[in-house]
Amino acid sequence: MSRAKLQGLGIDLPLFPITSVGSFPKPDFLLKARADFASNRIRRGALEKAERQATEFWIRKQEELGVDVLVDGEMYRGDMVAYFAENLAGFEDGGLVRSYGNRYYHKPVISDEVHWDEPITLEWWKYARGITSKPLKGMLTGPYTIMDWSFIEYYPDRRTACVALAKELRNEVQALIDEGAKIIQIDEPAISVRPEELPVAIEAMHIMTDGLPAYFISHICYGAFENIYPGMLDLPVDNFDLEMSNSGLDTLELFKRRTYTKDISFGVVDSHSHLIEDGPTVEHRLRQALEVLPKEAIWVDPDCGLKTRTADEAVAKMQAVVNAAKALREKAGVRSQESE
Amino acid sequence: MELALCNHSSYPRIGDDPEHQLLRRTIAQHDKGEKTDEAVRAAQDRMTELALAEQTEVGVDLVTDGQIRWADPISHLAGKLSGVRVNGLLRFFDTNFYFRQPVVEARPERTEPLLLEEFRFAQEKSARPVKAVLTGPYTLARFSVGENGASTGFEQMLEGYTVALAAEVAALAAAGATVIQIEEPALLQHVDDFLRFEQCLTALARSKDSAQLALSIYFGDPAAVYDQLQTLPVDILGLDFTYSPGLADRVISNGTARTLMLGLVDGRNTRLEDPAAVARQLEELARGAGLNRAYLSPSCGLEYLPRDRARQKLKQLAVIRNTFLGSPS
Repeated sequence: MSRAKLQGLGIDLPLFPITSVGSFPKPDFLLKARADFASNRIRRGALEKAERQATEFWIRKQEELGVDVLVDGEMYRGDMVAYFAENLAGFEDGGLVRSYGNRYYHKPVISDEVHWDEPITLEWWKYARGITSKPLKGMLTGPYTIMDWSFIEYYPDRRTACVALAKELRNEVQALIDEGAKIIQIDEPAISVRPEELPVAIEAMHIMTDGLPAYFISHICYGAFENIYPGMLDLPVDNFDLEMSNSGLDTLELFKRRTYTKDISFGVVDSHSHLIEDGPTVEHRLRQALEVLPKEAIWVDPDCGLKTRTADEAVAKMQAVVNAAKALREKAGVRSQESE
Repeated sequence: MELALCNHSSYPRIGDDPEHQLLRRTIAQHDKGEKTDEAVRAAQDRMTELALAEQTEVGVDLVTDGQIRWADPISHLAGKLSGVRVNGLLRFFDTNFYFRQPVVEARPERTEPLLLEEFRFAQEKSARPVKAVLTGPYTLARFSVGENGASTGFEQMLEGYTVALAAEVAALAAAGATVIQIEEPALLQHVDDFLRFEQCLTALARSKDSAQLALSIYFGDPAAVYDQLQTLPVDILGLDFTYSPGLADRVISNGTARTLMLGLVDGRNTRLEDPAAVARQLEELARGAGLNRAYLSPSCGLEYLPRDRARQKLKQLAVIRNTFLGSPS
């Protein structure tokens, strides 16, 4: 693990740091508030009050579970791309499209030059930071994914749109760091689908992170990692947060062929299944990771955000993550003592 | 050149109006135990009727049922076959749309019709001929995972899917489908496997009876395999022109032995095409390749667009045709 970098930032984490990818399900009272706000039955202040209440619920829940690096749960977001599009100049709402099954999102349209006018996530990060003493990730969606998941009408091509977004979103990263964020996650789930565009994504990530004092994580999921590995290791981040369990840990085979050189947030539970994995299953996945990766490099979390699960399912899945990490932490500690 | 307008395959099953949220709402209530299976079917019926009506209103000649009932292009078919269960989500090509991956436990077998009732419903409700659309065996096999060693290897999965879909083609033809479209976007990722692909298509073609068999290739540049595609036993060849600046030149230089379904209208971006520019392309294709008849269509299914934009794209087909017909040639 980049322990030295984290320690240099004042963060000391245990073996197998436990975290989550970012989103948690919205409690019923927040869903109702969002529906009421959409129908003009309540004002924005009332919605934000519900969002704060829901954020506090998930902060407390993560603390109770024993999570090491917290997230704010993204109670204020609808969709991970649409939220940023709504808060950057240059976008229009493009209407609903389906993502899978009965799930839909508002796919934005880049209809003008994009521009970051003011912080987007910062107030929520500050709010969450104010109610917990645990390390808290700053979270934003990356420029490549925002570009890829938007309709591009203004820019002549995809690279131009991506680079323009990166230059603007760097301001958000800087704003989070200025307020004290030490760990910043830049989600790029779209990055693996067009391998020929990996250089564009790397160029954009350099624009986002170069010279900035933070431990950077990038979440990538539901793509063909074999198309971009090992090239993805050139992305200038410290930790890849990867969906591993949904695909039967087959990404580990890639790591056997070519050494994985960064920290990893290793997804040990499937975020899109109602099934709650049992302890032995999750521990087994973690042990398989340990056969290929050094233990100091491994963080433990779910495959992806948990917002599509019920609150009970999300808590149960996080509990499974925590139990597995703590069990292996204990065993590793015992082995370490025995070898002394 | 005679130019017919056709929808490609899917159509949005949601829109921003409350009327267009019926299916989403009903499925969500069904998942909570508040609505019956019958209520979901009724909502699917209603949304299918709306999709058919919107296509007809804007002047599409050959419509589809919009695949309103499909969870996704893979599991909707594979999941109905014995020997197959559906599992976790995977991304569908380079889209932000996800399908459930089939896990093949034994040879896939067709024990019941896959799309027959859906086709019959659409045909009964439509004022225009309905194109039946099936994801092809090659794409299904490429997106499946075998779970039982050699007996569910790629070859075995492909053979099982091919036999199953050939039976479905026969059933659709017997039910009156005049055009049956096979979608094979996976081919462009495995062009070296063309011989095996050809064997699948040949098996399907044997089952089509008097129906016309269409092959649709999209989400990639087909220019490199254009000549090979011309050898396939299909009546209509659907091509996605949005990935390939050189495809039109290839068609013009090499001609075609098949009726072409020209995917010149981008089904994945909201930006509307300039009718004059597309009409010019059509004119060049008609003159250069000596086309007597063709279909003009979106490049792929329209479910990747919001409903209002999808409808605009179909309207644009008619505008383009009018511009083309009014042009000097």
